[in-house]
Amino acid sequence: MIRHFSLALALLLLAGCSGDAGDEGFAGLAGLEKSRTGNTNTNTPYLQPGPGDRLTFPADFGPHPQHRIEWWYLTANLETAAGDPLGVQWTQFRQARQPRAVAEPAPAATGWPLQAAWMAHGAVSWKGQHYFSEKLARGDVGNAGATAVPFQVWLDNWRLTGNADNTLWRLQATGEGWSYDLTLSIDGAPVAHGDEGFSAKSANGEGSMYFSLVDIAITGRVTLDGEVLTVRGKGWFDREWSSQLLKTGQKGWDWFALHLDSGDKLMAFRLRDDSGSFYSGTWIPAEGDPVPLSSEELNLQALDQRKGVPVRWRLSVPAYQVDLELIAPPGDYLNRGLYPYWESPVSVSGSHQGEGYMELTGYVD
Amino acid sequence: MTEPLLVVRGLSKHFASGNETVSVVEALSFTLGQGQSLALTGRSGSGKSTLLNLLCGLELPDAGTIALRDQVFDADGATARRKAAGWSALRRRHIGVVFQEANLMPALTLLDNVRLRAQLAGRDPANSEDWLTRLDIGELARRYPDQVSGGQRQRAALAMVFAMEPALILADEPTGSLDRHTADEVTRVLFDLQARHGCGLILATHDAELAAGCQQHLDLGHQSDV
Amino acid sequence: MNGSLSRLLPPYPSLFMPKALLSHYRRHPLQLLALAVMILLATMLWTGVSHLTSQARVSLAQSESAVAERQQVVRDDGQALAVEDFVSLRLAGVCVMPWLEVTPEESGNRLVGIDPLAAHCFGADASQAVDQPLDGKPFVDVHFAAGTRARESRLYLLVSDTTKAAELPPDYDLTTFSASPDTGELGASFLLNLEALGVLVLLITALLLRSVYLLGLAQRRDSFALLQRFGVSPMQVQGWLVLEILVLALVCVVPGVWLGRWLAAALGSGFGQALDGLFDIPLYAGQGQGWLTPVLVMLAVVVIACLGDLLLRRFRGRLSLPLPVRAGLAAVLLAVGLVMGWLAPSLLWVFIAVALVFAGAGWLTPAAVVQLAHWRANHSKAPLALWRYRELAVLVRRLTLPLVALQFALAMVLAVQALVTTFESTFDRWLAQRLEAAYYIEVPAGANSPQATEWLTSQQARVTGLQWHRVIRGSAQLAAAGDAREQSVDVFALTPVSSLIRGWTLLEAADRPWEALAAGEGIMINEQLARREKVAVGDRLQLILGDQPRALSVLGVYPDYGRPVGEVLLNGETLPDTFNIRFESLSVTPGEPGIAPITDALEKVWGVQTVALRDNDTVRALATGVFDQTFALTRAMTLLTLTLAASALLMMGWVFFSTRAWYFRLLVVWGLPQREAAAQLLRLALLLTGGIAALALPLGIWLTWVLVHRINPLAFGWSLPMAVYPAFWLELALLSLVIGLSIAALMRRQLGKPAIAPLSANALTGGER
Repeated sequence: MIRHFSLALALLLLAGCSGDAGDEGFAGLAGLEKSRTGNTNTNTPYLQPGPGDRLTFPADFGPHPQHRIEWWYLTANLETAAGDPLGVQWTQFRQARQPRAVAEPAPAATGWPLQAAWMAHGAVSWKGQHYFSEKLARGDVGNAGATAVPFQVWLDNWRLTGNADNTLWRLQATGEGWSYDLTLSIDGAPVAHGDEGFSAKSANGEGSMYFSLVDIAITGRVTLDGEVLTVRGKGWFDREWSSQLLKTGQKGWDWFALHLDSGDKLMAFRLRDDSGSFYSGTWIPAEGDPVPLSSEELNLQALDQRKGVPVRWRLSVPAYQVDLELIAPPGDYLNRGLYPYWESPVSVSGSHQGEGYMELTGYVD
Repeated sequence: MTEPLLVVRGLSKHFASGNETVSVVEALSFTLGQGQSLALTGRSGSGKSTLLNLLCGLELPDAGTIALRDQVFDADGATARRKAAGWSALRRRHIGVVFQEANLMPALTLLDNVRLRAQLAGRDPANSEDWLTRLDIGELARRYPDQVSGGQRQRAALAMVFAMEPALILADEPTGSLDRHTADEVTRVLFDLQARHGCGLILATHDAELAAGCQQHLDLGHQSDV
Repeated sequence: MNGSLSRLLPPYPSLFMPKALLSHYRRHPLQLLALAVMILLATMLWTGVSHLTSQARVSLAQSESAVAERQQVVRDDGQALAVEDFVSLRLAGVCVMPWLEVTPEESGNRLVGIDPLAAHCFGADASQAVDQPLDGKPFVDVHFAAGTRARESRLYLLVSDTTKAAELPPDYDLTTFSASPDTGELGASFLLNLEALGVLVLLITALLLRSVYLLGLAQRRDSFALLQRFGVSPMQVQGWLVLEILVLALVCVVPGVWLGRWLAAALGSGFGQALDGLFDIPLYAGQGQGWLTPVLVMLAVVVIACLGDLLLRRFRGRLSLPLPVRAGLAAVLLAVGLVMGWLAPSLLWVFIAVALVFAGAGWLTPAAVVQLAHWRANHSKAPLALWRYRELAVLVRRLTLPLVALQFALAMVLAVQALVTTFESTFDRWLAQRLEAAYYIEVPAGANSPQATEWLTSQQARVTGLQWHRVIRGSAQLAAAGDAREQSVDVFALTPVSSLIRGWTLLEAADRPWEALAAGEGIMINEQLARREKVAVGDRLQLILGDQPRALSVLGVYPDYGRPVGEVLLNGETLPDTFNIRFESLSVTPGEPGIAPITDALEKVWGVQTVALRDNDTVRALATGVFDQTFALTRAMTLLTLTLAASALLMMGWVFFSTRAWYFRLLVVWGLPQREAAAQLLRLALLLTGGIAALALPLGIWLTWVLVHRINPLAFGWSLPMAVYPAFWLELALLSLVIGLSIAALMRRQLGKPAIAPLSANALTGGER
């Protein structure tokens, strides 16, 4: 039997997609690569989210070992003491190789289990510079994982930890030339996207469970090439899990999370497809309940490209008199990891002013 | 008739062609005297070359007897190997063969060719250059065969044959690839030397003029005793 | 190419030309087959060799950073490492990779479990450095290794070279790590030589191709003349010829490349394990999917080999020099190449020298043989001898290309044989030198080694057959005379100077060197240091050991293959207390009671649960086994090349002899018995191939010398011992005689049949002489 030392291939192995599931690489980042192995565990199937599935707190802050993929995703639009905008990203992915029922105990660490792989991305964007690092680990050994109570997500020395009532978090990560140590105060209840947490990702009903924390005040320090910067600002936290995200034919996604000056928030995404794209989003008014947005209610248009990546967009939601122009600051915000993708802050103008984050996948191989 | 040099009796040669047996030479008998010449005529495929091969032992007959000088080769006699050895010795010393062309070793000069043939026949190679001179190609002695004309090559071939002082010369269309004028010259030299040295000559040709120069005629189209 | 082709091809879409050209091959299908087979085999051979070599080379380069020269983390308390240690180090931000060595219960083959995910942090450029699929055993995923029922299992935690001890959490320390004997540059050196072999294979196959193609071309000259009478311009004919050979090449090159890869893969599975096991080079399996390069290279080689001179017609006039001028030029090339090979200051110049020598030899050899044959002919009394030598001259001229190819192939086989055998014995000696004792025991960090040595000394008298010494490694500064800058050398110190190492072969030695070393009267140095510092036995070397400068006399120089670093071997008792010990171990041959009582005692002495023990016999067996495989592979490749060259010569010889059959027949007509004519044929064929073998010998020896004495020292700073193997020469001589015999045997059959006289006077002119 051939084992691969290759990370890329090893990850595909770990991804262990069965034939009918999406061949989407690590957490969908790789686009449509062919999977290598089938699902070997016949007793426990992967769970596929569907309409009618509900969120459970605080359990859903923790991992979902019977789902194939999931992530914890924080983006933050911060400002230094000097008033310069500074963007921060922290993401941790879990990719299962074998599904495991929640009740089932984790395999012993001494066996170096191979049920799941973890990947963490950290990035800092400042003055046109983009710092990015990537970390990998296998799950269940101990150096990577997540728990709901107390809330913790960690990979090696990168960690996100919550306090007892999960209202105050601390995020620490260090990469080459950069590090950050941030305190996050969580305000507001989790926002469930789509159908009370089930967020459709195609017209055929594929989708994921998806909720966000959209009101996060952040303070802390970011160190770049030895220079310590005091920062403060706001963050956006996503939790999403599924067993299939991209269906065959889908090439990648464009995702936006925006803080508008009016106090309203907007999340919108588009899954690009050969045969027409799938649009979805959530309007989160300053007062009142979040409203899911369907394909018909959203207009999204790429205006300008930078090296093949659209960096200027028009996003409108006519029902709420929203007509925005989004633009990434000058610079190259490609996260050049095993599966490159674009992750940058955006500034908002048009019907509203504001700021936010934009993630674009599937443009760069 | 002078003392016989070559006596052929009841000579036959067959070839297998598929299931059939083709008779090329059938019960042929003739006698050639010392210093006499014989013209072999007949259309192509009538067996001229086969007969010449039989007469120098390059092929062995199915039936009949060939007596050359003091040796008698009988189709029913000794083993093939012994016969081959006997014929080899005869060819080496006493039978000169001239083909239509390619009688010379291309890697050797004309002179070296003559010397080689003379030495094989046990003659003194010192006379080799004389022979070339006598055939009017003395100045070409150090040329290679590809550096001289076809006629000159045939002259050199004749020089080789005469340098071995043969008892019998077998010539298979010796002028076949030469133009008329050159052919005549070569023929003249051939008959001249043959007469002077008193050796036997069997000349296979379909050139009637050439055949006419011979004392005896054998038309293989109409085989019969001569 | 496109532009010139369209200029050459007729403007009208006519099938006339392809039909006319193909009619030749319809009449001579075997020739087409021979050409196709030659292209196919040549492509396969070259692709195979170059594929293997480049794979191994790339892997080597990658493994240098990924696997070779590593450090490991150990616990200060001497306890064995566990998953928890990995986790706590990782959580502390240290980039460690698990390396789980497992000896399975069922089979003795050691497995190494690694975690590719954990290895990610080792590579600077993740997408490249880590992207190396590993070909099966002994490397497996750590999960698989952990799940194997094991007789023995040990976890190591590797860190990158740049990791400093200060970065580790308390209770952990760094030490060096070597999983198997680190052959270092021996592997690289071997691969460099393999690469040179690949270039030679390409050259040889090009020559063979050319010979087969030119044979056909000569036969087609008449039909080209006919075409020209039909009004087809020579340019157009050339255009079609280029097209024809391109199509043929493409048809054959693609399956050839495929077959070459298949060959490489088939051989490579063994090769891969060989390299894996010993060099720690993971071999690519199925990597390097680039088809374009080999296909384009082979296409270019085919077109240039077949039509190079035709396409460069403008230069042909200048190229076709008169024979003496050409021979003179060749001699000059040869001489310049030889001198340059001797004096070349850098690798590039040596390679140029090799090219010059081969060009010179390839040009000069046929000319020289022809001259020699003429000379012999002029001096031979026997008329047949004269004829034979003249005929030999013709043969050599007509068969120049396949003969030169055979000469090169023979020379290459000679050199590769010598090289491989040299490497083999070098490895043997190298293994013997490094694995001098039956066991090798690591002294754990912080353990008291004098206590262990005391105990071992106490056992010495009681246990028969016990041999041991303590090895201390560290470094010293070399104060070179007249040079202000200090240079670091490795220190290899032994106490006592046991009989285990006294069997070492020394390149140079004083009188009773081991006794002198045991008495602390001096040091020994490795070849690298001796070469670099130009130090000889009897000289004194200024060393700073710890804080003490010392002048020590050199007692001997020992070969130390595979490393560029200078090393001094000294008696451990002479080391000052201030000497900084980097690494300590015990080499033990336990004698009758076996190793168990010793390890038990050492565990007690050191207060640890287990001691790290390496069974050198196992390592030696593994190493020997994999080397045998590697070398067998190399030999197989070269022999395949030789076979190709031999069969090409056989084929060409047969075709050519067929055109000469008439003249052998003429000998029979002139009264030579068949057997004697056949004997002449045999002597001629043997003269030809024997002569080529004889001429290949000096070239082969020279090539060997260049490989081991010029290329290796220039590339790596150490030389391999040069050895010659006359028994193998004899084998090759026999082989070339067999080729000669085969040609003669093939011709003998034609001699029996009535030969056909050359048809026209044309056949007598040109080339035949």
